[in-house]
Amino acid sequence: MKLKNEKLAIILAGLAIGVIAVLLVLFGNPTNMGFCIACFLRDTAGGLKLHTAAVVQYVRPEIIGLVLGSFLMACLKKEWAPKGGSAPLTRFILGFFVMVGCLAFLGCPFRMILRLAGGDLNALFGLLGFVGGILAGVFFLNKGYSLKRTYRQPRLEGMAFPIVQVVILVILVFFSSLLAFSESGPGSKHAPVLISLAAGLIVGALAQRTRLCMVGGIRDAVLFRESKLLLGFIAIFVAALAGNLILNAATDTTFFKLGFESQPISHSAQLWNVLGMALAGFGCTLLGGCPLRQLILAGEGNTDSAIAVLGLIAGAAFSHNFGLAGAADSVVDGVYKVGGPGANGKVAVIAGLVIVTVIACVNTFGKKEEV
Amino acid sequence: MTCIATFFSHFGAIRFKKLCQNRLWPAVVMPVPRNLSSSCGTCVRYEGDALCPAAEIPEEVEQIVEITDQGYVCRYRASDS
Repeated sequence: MKLKNEKLAIILAGLAIGVIAVLLVLFGNPTNMGFCIACFLRDTAGGLKLHTAAVVQYVRPEIIGLVLGSFLMACLKKEWAPKGGSAPLTRFILGFFVMVGCLAFLGCPFRMILRLAGGDLNALFGLLGFVGGILAGVFFLNKGYSLKRTYRQPRLEGMAFPIVQVVILVILVFFSSLLAFSESGPGSKHAPVLISLAAGLIVGALAQRTRLCMVGGIRDAVLFRESKLLLGFIAIFVAALAGNLILNAATDTTFFKLGFESQPISHSAQLWNVLGMALAGFGCTLLGGCPLRQLILAGEGNTDSAIAVLGLIAGAAFSHNFGLAGAADSVVDGVYKVGGPGANGKVAVIAGLVIVTVIACVNTFGKKEEV
Repeated sequence: MTCIATFFSHFGAIRFKKLCQNRLWPAVVMPVPRNLSSSCGTCVRYEGDALCPAAEIPEEVEQIVEITDQGYVCRYRASDS
């Protein structure tokens, strides 16, 4: 595929993904949350009873679909390859803190774009922090950061993560009494299982073909002045914005509301929007991709990415068991109350920035001494 | 010959490019082309009279392909990769 065709493919994929994200909201997903990898992994962690926050418990079929869509497409194109062994525990810790950052902001980079497309201007502060975090990561990449090489793995090792997704899907469909389901809050809002699964499969396959990555787009633009991945990012925004405006006019539901206040599942504690996404952007750059990209790579047989996803899930469970996640803005007794992370969450975000910086330094400057 | 080398790390690509420049080989660091790999790392496209600008292929190199009229031809792949 020539570069021009690659660009066209990623723009078309981005447009399709943006439309699918808006349709998922129409079919029942929370507003501005057609897709959110962080939120959906958190909901899945809750559905599997890894945390006890009753309002965010639902095994999201979109996650299963993303992994299996990538897996099937990679198999079809003979690109499926089991590999791993590149600092798995470090990747787990990075994944953990990426999730802490995302949940302080209330969304992953993908949802950040969807929130902007829904008129939520708080996400601009998230974008600011996200770019800053990526720039910090790029600084270390250019100074020599590396988690060392990957190695070929046994086939079963690469198959394990997609197989786990199939098992979770079987439990969701046939043994759902084993799982927890939210009766209110974001976890109670979801599209029908088959629609969610199909959406995940399509987006997973498209993301595998195009290597769509929210972090990669900005990273490549900075490193190489290469806009290809960034175009996918922009296409998602344009399609979701257009879809939201059309549905806003055509239905009674609010799909687009421009401003900072009372945005759905969002807070206006801007410092923590910036710092949360800075942590996410920094950690994702060191991981080599955003949470969506980690799921796609895990589907392709990359066990390091599967470990990073497990870190994301652990981060989600800890965030809700220990009160680290941000709270949405609310109105209490007629008074507007700004949300955001509580004291625990603020400490966790700061600690995350420190720990991720230490990981970056050790794997950049420490390695030079080893050579 | 015109080749593309892919790497296990971004910095490996930067170092490889410097090796090319030391031999006055034209070289550019860029994202890995999609039709070469599904990974989204960094590669170096270079022109030279040998496969590698150094005496030994650095351990950071994952793969080297030559660009031919028939497409990419794999000339080197790191063991167990």
